[in-house]
Amino acid sequence: MVYISAASGITHQPTFKNAGFSASLDTISSDTELVSPNYKDYIDAGLLRRMSKILRMSVACAKECIQQAGEIHPDAIVVGTGLGCLQDTEKFLNTFLSVEGLLPPTSFIQSTHNTIAGQISLSIGNHGYNMTHTQNTLSFEHALIDSIMMLAEGDAHILVGAADEHISFLDSVAEQLDVTLPVAMTSGCSFFVLSKEKTDQTLAKLTAVETYGEIQKLEEHLNNFFESNSIDPARLDLVLFSGLDIDACGQVLHYLTSRGVKEDQIQDYLIYSGIYPTASAFAVHYAVDKIGQDPSLKNVLVCNCMNRRNLGLTLIQSVEA
Amino acid sequence: MGVQITGIGIVSAIGKTVAENLGALKSGRSGIAPVQYLKERPELLVGEVKIGNAELIDKLAINNPNISRTSLLGLTAAREAWGNSPHHSGIRTGIISSTSVGGMDRSEWFYRDFLKQGNPDYEVLLCHDSGNTTERIARELGISGYINTLSTACSSGVNAIMLGARLIQQDKLDRVLVGGTDALTSFTVNGFKSLMIYDDAWCRPFDESRTGLNLGEGAAFLLLENDKSAAISGNKTLCYVKGWANAADAYHQTASSPDGKGATMAIQKAIKLSGVGIDKIDYVNAHGTGTKNNDLSESVALKNVFGDAIPPFSSTKPFTGHTLAAAGAIESVFSVLAIQHNLIYPSLNFTTPIAEAGLIPVTDLITDREVNTVLSNSFGFGGNNSSVVFSSTL
Repeated sequence: MVYISAASGITHQPTFKNAGFSASLDTISSDTELVSPNYKDYIDAGLLRRMSKILRMSVACAKECIQQAGEIHPDAIVVGTGLGCLQDTEKFLNTFLSVEGLLPPTSFIQSTHNTIAGQISLSIGNHGYNMTHTQNTLSFEHALIDSIMMLAEGDAHILVGAADEHISFLDSVAEQLDVTLPVAMTSGCSFFVLSKEKTDQTLAKLTAVETYGEIQKLEEHLNNFFESNSIDPARLDLVLFSGLDIDACGQVLHYLTSRGVKEDQIQDYLIYSGIYPTASAFAVHYAVDKIGQDPSLKNVLVCNCMNRRNLGLTLIQSVEA
Repeated sequence: MGVQITGIGIVSAIGKTVAENLGALKSGRSGIAPVQYLKERPELLVGEVKIGNAELIDKLAINNPNISRTSLLGLTAAREAWGNSPHHSGIRTGIISSTSVGGMDRSEWFYRDFLKQGNPDYEVLLCHDSGNTTERIARELGISGYINTLSTACSSGVNAIMLGARLIQQDKLDRVLVGGTDALTSFTVNGFKSLMIYDDAWCRPFDESRTGLNLGEGAAFLLLENDKSAAISGNKTLCYVKGWANAADAYHQTASSPDGKGATMAIQKAIKLSGVGIDKIDYVNAHGTGTKNNDLSESVALKNVFGDAIPPFSSTKPFTGHTLAAAGAIESVFSVLAIQHNLIYPSLNFTTPIAEAGLIPVTDLITDREVNTVLSNSFGFGGNNSSVVFSSTL
């Protein structure tokens, strides 16, 4: 069994160091902003100056998460990111395409996806397994699967999380491609400590995570997921759902409602997180927080079909379940 | 239960098939040459795959031409590795690719137009994200289910092999196509130039006079199968993935530590997991980029692990250039070929050992001894260090 020992998030909601946040969320508005902590509390000022948004979010969030777990030394650091370090990528593109001669290297160095996990390992002096998954909307789920495997191979604690940053260029891309989004695109990062042993601090159980890319047999995948985890969909107390494509989402919703999940037990999480490729990490944080607040919640499913070709399923259970 | 390698595929500066790559390795022919396809100043030395995108699209019979070179190269190698393997409902199949640039080869052209305030084609950006490069490969091969992409800079390819082997070992998959792909881009050429580690001459790994790397491009894939899958597919075992490890150097964002800590840990852990005696490593395919920093740090790590008994080692980057995320996969295919054909490749362009280390790589092709076990190293930006051990026997 995999236990969630700590959960932390920096998002457009008051998620940071704010247990119980799930009770008082407003829908994301169009002029929404990231709720940033005082980064200097977590990152040296000299380093902070050079860090892009995604790096400061991730390092601060990861450090807070480790503190929450009782200053554990993670055996591995695993990160998922859909689009990586966009701010530095954009900056270096601008630099090398418009500046002649010697170029400053910082934005190039910080443009690679693994900068996030690398900076976290540097900031806490961690020499363990260090991995970066980038499978667009399923990047976080893949990071979770890897982490669960690391625990099965003998590790005790894994720091796992996801991060994506919004840059205004993304809005122009959406506009130019005629993509109409139901809520604003946002930035967000969430980190968790997963542990092999249950302690007094344990927040919830991470029971199962599966990804299905290039979906061919949706119903079969869903059947397999529930059967192999011995859970009847009717026993789900809450489904946190994301979906942008009506057809594909409709099929998943129909599957759930026709098997006993009531409509008022299904909740869209994108209206709270905003849209970014790893928003399902926000949903897991939200689920863990809800479970902490409401003892009647036993089984929560995060159902990620933000991209119609891909499905991510994450089952979180209360410690008692 | 062993993790078998039953298929390999590769496209690099020294050839578009396994056979062409093997031929070039045996004849000592480098693929690094003045730039031909990428729009850069003509004297730039790069390891390009000698084929344009239009020809690749045609050859691969791609219907939707909105596709990155990274995907095209990846698909070329993935198809060769996959071979005629059957699709079978009883074999749980996945794919793990790795890339550092993703679709940047086309995004940077988009961005040029965008900055000029011309009429840029925004559709191009649909192929930008790294995950998309893998999804395109998966779709063309008819693979669905576990589809994943890793991006850990220059260690990505080895990490894909490691993750695939673990998924088989933990019985999550029966068969998984693993590898890496990266196209050459102006983004990375200028990036390494900004770090002042791009050599204007031919790269010289492990040589005292080394001053940097030459970038390359390419892709390689390996088909990993468990016993059940191999029994159904009928594919022959080429060799086994025996050990793997990944460790963070946690020293500096780009530089490797002078004591080679992360590299030492990765090599030691991979050999330990393989269960192969440290004296049984017949050849080390080194990361050996030709930068001052990597080659010294890697030399120190080799000494830390092997003491005075360092196995024959070489870097094949003077053949292919540094292919970033593809490097670990390309060099793993070379390692498999070393075992299959009893070969130890030369480190081209070497003349003088590094003063502080004094290590001498293999400089001429060795063909007169058995090669049963090979260690391949890949060390990346951000302190990502990975090593993998291949062996002819289980």
